[in-house]
Amino acid sequence: MSQIQPLDPVNVPAAPVELARVGGPEREGAGRRRFHLPGWLRLLLSNPKSRGGIIVLSAIIILAIIAPWIAHGNPNDFSLLDARQSPSFHHLFGTTDQGSDIFSQVMWGARTSLVLGAAAAALATVLATTLGILAAYSGGVVDDIINLITSVFLVIPTIPLLIVVSSYMHTRSGLTMVLILGLTLWGFEARILRGQALALRNRDFILSAKVAGEGTWRIIFGEFVPNMISRIAAAFVLVFYIAILTEAGLEFLGLGDMNHASWGVTMYWAQVNSSFLQGEWWPFLFPGIALAATVAALVFILAGVDEVSNPRLRKDRKRHGVFRSLFVGGRRAAPAVEEGK
Amino acid sequence: MRWFIRRLGFYFFAIWVAITLNFLLPRLMPGDPLGGLMQRLTPAQIQGNPGIINTFRVMLGGTNEPMWKAYPEYLKNIFTGNLGISTSNYPTHVTEVIGRTLPYSIFLVGVAFILAFILGISVGMVAAWRRGGIVDNFVMPSLLALGAFPAFFTSLVAVYFLGLKLGWFPIQHAYDSGVIPGFNWTFLSSAFRHAELPMIVIVFVFAGGWALNMRTIMINTIEEDYVGMAKAKGLHDRRVMTRYAARNAILPPLNGFAAQFATAVGGLVFIEFVFSYPGAGWTLQEAALGADYPLTQGLLLVFAVCVIVANFIMDLLNFVLDPRVRTS
Amino acid sequence: MNAALEDGTTAPAVARETLVELRELVVDYVLSGRSIRAVDHVNLSVGKGEIVGLAGESGCGKSTIANAIMQLLRAPAQVTSGEIRFRGEDLTKMSTEQLRQFRWSNVSMVFQSAMNSLNPLMRVGDQFVDMMKAHRKISKDDALARAATLMELVGMDRSHVRSYPHELSGGMRQRTVIAMALALGPELMIMDEPTTALDVVVQREILQRVQDLQQDLGFAVLFITHDLSLLVEFSDRIAIMYAGEIVESAASDVLFERPQHPYTVGLMSSFPPLSGPRERIVGIPGSPPDLAKPPAGCRFHTRCTHCDPASPALYRRQTTERPVLREVGPGHLVACHLTDER
Repeated sequence: MSQIQPLDPVNVPAAPVELARVGGPEREGAGRRRFHLPGWLRLLLSNPKSRGGIIVLSAIIILAIIAPWIAHGNPNDFSLLDARQSPSFHHLFGTTDQGSDIFSQVMWGARTSLVLGAAAAALATVLATTLGILAAYSGGVVDDIINLITSVFLVIPTIPLLIVVSSYMHTRSGLTMVLILGLTLWGFEARILRGQALALRNRDFILSAKVAGEGTWRIIFGEFVPNMISRIAAAFVLVFYIAILTEAGLEFLGLGDMNHASWGVTMYWAQVNSSFLQGEWWPFLFPGIALAATVAALVFILAGVDEVSNPRLRKDRKRHGVFRSLFVGGRRAAPAVEEGK
Repeated sequence: MRWFIRRLGFYFFAIWVAITLNFLLPRLMPGDPLGGLMQRLTPAQIQGNPGIINTFRVMLGGTNEPMWKAYPEYLKNIFTGNLGISTSNYPTHVTEVIGRTLPYSIFLVGVAFILAFILGISVGMVAAWRRGGIVDNFVMPSLLALGAFPAFFTSLVAVYFLGLKLGWFPIQHAYDSGVIPGFNWTFLSSAFRHAELPMIVIVFVFAGGWALNMRTIMINTIEEDYVGMAKAKGLHDRRVMTRYAARNAILPPLNGFAAQFATAVGGLVFIEFVFSYPGAGWTLQEAALGADYPLTQGLLLVFAVCVIVANFIMDLLNFVLDPRVRTS
Repeated sequence: MNAALEDGTTAPAVARETLVELRELVVDYVLSGRSIRAVDHVNLSVGKGEIVGLAGESGCGKSTIANAIMQLLRAPAQVTSGEIRFRGEDLTKMSTEQLRQFRWSNVSMVFQSAMNSLNPLMRVGDQFVDMMKAHRKISKDDALARAATLMELVGMDRSHVRSYPHELSGGMRQRTVIAMALALGPELMIMDEPTTALDVVVQREILQRVQDLQQDLGFAVLFITHDLSLLVEFSDRIAIMYAGEIVESAASDVLFERPQHPYTVGLMSSFPPLSGPRERIVGIPGSPPDLAKPPAGCRFHTRCTHCDPASPALYRRQTTERPVLREVGPGHLVACHLTDER
């Protein structure tokens, strides 16, 4: 850039690449007990977008965990006497057409949705990481083959595929859902992670590990992965929210695991029983908001991570923030947290 | 030119994978899809179409026929256009069912998705150009928030408020009952009217993603030297924004368009479901619930082909718009 | 400042009309809470038809000045105080539309990397047309014809008007950008490190071409570079910048023969003469200062070979007092405690 050389290049990162340890050098008075948060958490909390996301997500997780205590026993309990009631003190979110309490369905459903989503995301992320790095590291034929598979998976529309697969299965358990979601959602991130791994491939530490005779898998998991942790984590978050959405969607269509309480299932029954057209909005609104809040929280976390790693996207905030810590930190003590995109 | 051949080759390969996937899936799943299918047909129906059992067998496996024997026959069926008979619409052929429903989907998705793209790109462009302005601070976050809600939820809300409560839009089906499909004004206007609300939903669900993408890339593009030079040359602000910044920034999102198309197809299914809009997506869902395997297979294939075609069109567009691609 | 003249003019007899005048210009980069001064009370002027060179290390503020003149400073940079005048008019007070018209038709700029100055998606000729149409009423065909003529003027083949930037070599792109800079007949052309990215042979050709054009067309040039050797040959006057300040300015032959400021001396001795006895090349020790925390007193003192605690009085001045530009000869200004002593 000819125009502006903002600051002395020595002290400020020129490219949107390296991040300082947030919080700067250790404060004086280390004798006092300080509550040390891990670096990455502090980083995420410093950005308002990801901070909001983390707060909302934590709230939802906490609600899911304490569901047994705050909600009535079994969410699938029904009593026809209480059917189709709008929200009241006794039934905070109202009841379904069969008299099940929607509040408890939403609370218990949080568990299902979160666990299924996380499991599917974990599976997809593992696949994406392994295949992506393998492709980047091996190059050549292996790379071409993996690329081909990834491209094909990206081109075949996932939801129709999932619908068709679901239709073949007679019993749909949580496990099968996790499997089919994980096996179809890995493609997108595989490509991105491969790109990042390509940038790392020629770095000295990889080359020296190779020369030292470390096996391929050892290099992938021992060298590449630790240096791509932040990108892998971001990949996980992305697939997480896509998995939650997709899974809820499938349930809504009636193609999911219909026995467990979950947000999509609640909405499915409501749709099927035409509650909606009769003006009963509560079986839709509450699970829907829960779903939307979870997804939005994850999206905001991602947006915050994006801003943190690419300073240009940030607005200059007058308060303390990542800027101050960048300057105060001075010459960075820790190695880069994240490679630029 | 060589690049074209490679892309085409890849797309044909992808189509082949889709076909083969259709072939393998029922055979890999536990249970007996063929048996399940046959149970839905009455003897009379089967007798009416003698060859159909064989076609089904080839499509779905079951029985002990080895795969390598069934596969060529399966391929032959596909290429002669024999996709079987839809059990839920017996005795209509799958091809006919698809032919009846696909145009509605294409109409809906084609128009709405392009609109979403245009809206999103414009919002993203202006948001990046005037950081901190109304568009950046207000319009963009709103679009993003809208996009964060799952497509079916937004559809439901739209149906509830705009359709049911306010009555501004019709909320079900593709056209008013009693109207006969055909190339006449009554039908076309009715069809269009019914498509309005689903289209609005699609636009608002997808525009946010585009806007964010465009904004990010635009912010980076604005830093480029040629944008600064354009300003230095004394060009009008708007021209610099569009011809210099946006024109360059739009290339990556355009490429993403094709990738997003697959997602759009997914979202389409939900939206059609909520609106009872008889397009290919709604049909797929009904078929899946009714275990109408020939139809689901056929639709999956059609969806895959559509996405591939969209990808190919995007490749062509990229070729036209970016002279750097042409030289290589 | 007690200089009779604000900046050097070659000889009192030739009174040039002043085109651009920077008076006590201060440009800061303002970030949350702190600001960094990139340009510190700089006075500079360029007269009609004059070639002024501005030299200094990377990060000393020269490009900032160029952008300030074009009013292209981007946040977080801002003009804190001082004036930038073109033919007497204050540029900072111009409206957007006035500025837009001013740009390129009065002052044009050749950017540091011509590679990236051209829009990769547009044909070169169209980028000319763009610019001409923004300032004049001219038809596309006429504009293209003029573009072709300009290309020839800088030594390129007319047919390249239809080329895309990536189809041209580095040297060709640089020529194109120079041709563009001349298109509207500006009175001043600012060149910001125009040849840094090119090899010496091409560099020479291009500068030669620019010199010829300058003699023919009579425009003024503000030539910004870190390569002093180019300036000595090319410019009428040279100003040396260090850490945001002008530390010496004189006619180029005067500067070449009698550099006063230790930094200038250092720069001069950084390139060996092509002929003559072998000399040891003496560089300048140390590295450019951190503009966030510049050294106290004379900013150069940490790297100056003449700054020595052995002469305590002088040393104290060097480390506490900022030197001021004083005239040491006709049109020769230096800001240095050493020259003050003499």
